[in-house]
Amino acid sequence: MKRKYGKKTWCFPGGFIPVESSGKEPEFLSKDEIAVLNTTEKDATVKISIYYADQDPVTGYAIQVNAQRVRQFRINDLIDPQAVPLGVPYGAVLESDVPIVVQWTKQITAEGRMGIMGAMAYPADGDS
Amino acid sequence: MPKEWTNWSESIKFSPEVTKRPQSEEEVQQTVIKARADEKKIRVVGAGHSSVPLVKTDQILLAQDRLKGLVGHNPQARSVKFLPGTDIKETGEALIKLKLSMHNTGDVDMQFLGGAFGTGTHGSGKKLKNLSSMVIGCRLVDGTGSVREITENEPDLLNASRISLGALGIFTEFTLQTDPAKKYLRQESWTHFQDCIDNLEDLIDNNEMFDFYWYPRNDLVKLRMCNPVVNDGANFSFGKAEKEVQGWLYEILPQDRDLKYEEMEYMLPIAAGPDCFREIRKRIKKKHRHYVGWRVLYRTIAADDMYLSPSYQQDTVSIAILQNHQLEYQSYFDDIEPIFRAYGGRPHWGKKHSLTSDELGLLYPEWNRFLELRKELDPEGIFLNDYLKQILGI
Repeated sequence: MKRKYGKKTWCFPGGFIPVESSGKEPEFLSKDEIAVLNTTEKDATVKISIYYADQDPVTGYAIQVNAQRVRQFRINDLIDPQAVPLGVPYGAVLESDVPIVVQWTKQITAEGRMGIMGAMAYPADGDS
Repeated sequence: MPKEWTNWSESIKFSPEVTKRPQSEEEVQQTVIKARADEKKIRVVGAGHSSVPLVKTDQILLAQDRLKGLVGHNPQARSVKFLPGTDIKETGEALIKLKLSMHNTGDVDMQFLGGAFGTGTHGSGKKLKNLSSMVIGCRLVDGTGSVREITENEPDLLNASRISLGALGIFTEFTLQTDPAKKYLRQESWTHFQDCIDNLEDLIDNNEMFDFYWYPRNDLVKLRMCNPVVNDGANFSFGKAEKEVQGWLYEILPQDRDLKYEEMEYMLPIAAGPDCFREIRKRIKKKHRHYVGWRVLYRTIAADDMYLSPSYQQDTVSIAILQNHQLEYQSYFDDIEPIFRAYGGRPHWGKKHSLTSDELGLLYPEWNRFLELRKELDPEGIFLNDYLKQILGI
């Protein structure tokens, strides 16, 4: 069955990765993690732009999600074109060349405690 | 109007009065003779990968990009002659046609031989010396405009010349000792920092080439092993295999490097490596990883006898810290450098460091001998720029 669930453009505004973590890493790292589901039969190239409160957006991040696969990655690990700073509020826009479904999860392990929350990103196709 | 010159990472910029691109040793010689008559200074430049101002000049910049290619081969001795503007990749491609190989290369293969040798470029392997160790002879135009041929019959001059920062003269030809070409298996594997450090000695001892990257944002390590295919490759009970590739060394060692970075690298006694690395890891996690995502690279290099080699008469570990070139790096490097120095580190000549001649002179037993030879080969200092004067104490 051919599937192409999802949208091509997704956003989330509430990014923030605490500087502090506690416990063994990477399992207990404070992190923002993105999960991308690509149900289509074509590999997805997802371009990511990071927006900040007090500086221009940084564009040019890109990840590949193979056809009919999921990929989960930490925002913490993005370094190309430059590392996303920890301890700084940010938002992100993900633009794919095929429909995808995007979820983001936040894990905070600062001060020896752990909290986890996840939410769907906002599907922005058709917005202008 | 002079054209601005920029290095690879874009942190060094200057405008030479003129750029010369000689195509022969004779043209190099004529450039030096004329510069001397005109009382001009010359700096020689290769591919521009270095991130310190070794090549900076507002007078004559001599580019080696037209001095390129294989110009001699002795099959019995497995020795070859290359022009200094041949890059590492081109060297590997030319050698494989003769069924020969360099003994090692680094991650980057864009450097010209002249620059790679001149700054002590290296790969990784406990029993493998840096790339300059391949040089068994050379020709250079000295500061008087004379052509000198240096062979193993002059070990004093040869050991000064192999890593000489472009301060002794302008190389016009290298004679290199090569190895028979053979296929290698490169393996990469992910593991946790602790597994890596617990097994580090075995990993270094049991692989012809081994290095690892530590990622400060997640505490994971990428192990990288490279061994002749006649072996079974690396086997261990931890980690998650990611990649295996077979090929000639020059094909499988270099990595794609489109993403630009600034780098500081120090070589320290091999026994000091693990403790130094632990301290650096702790400092980065505590103070720097909120703006540093780039990995830290750990390699080994065998001892040699080159006067300005950071591995001079000691097996060494090299630890390199990197940062995206668009982001703040100075405060990061400034904070980590004293740790390198506390463990007896010697800086890579082509990468960022803050040492001056007083500090450098204490690290190199043959420092004064190198300076004597520099003065002999370039008595009027035609090859000196402000940076060389600063680090050499002239």
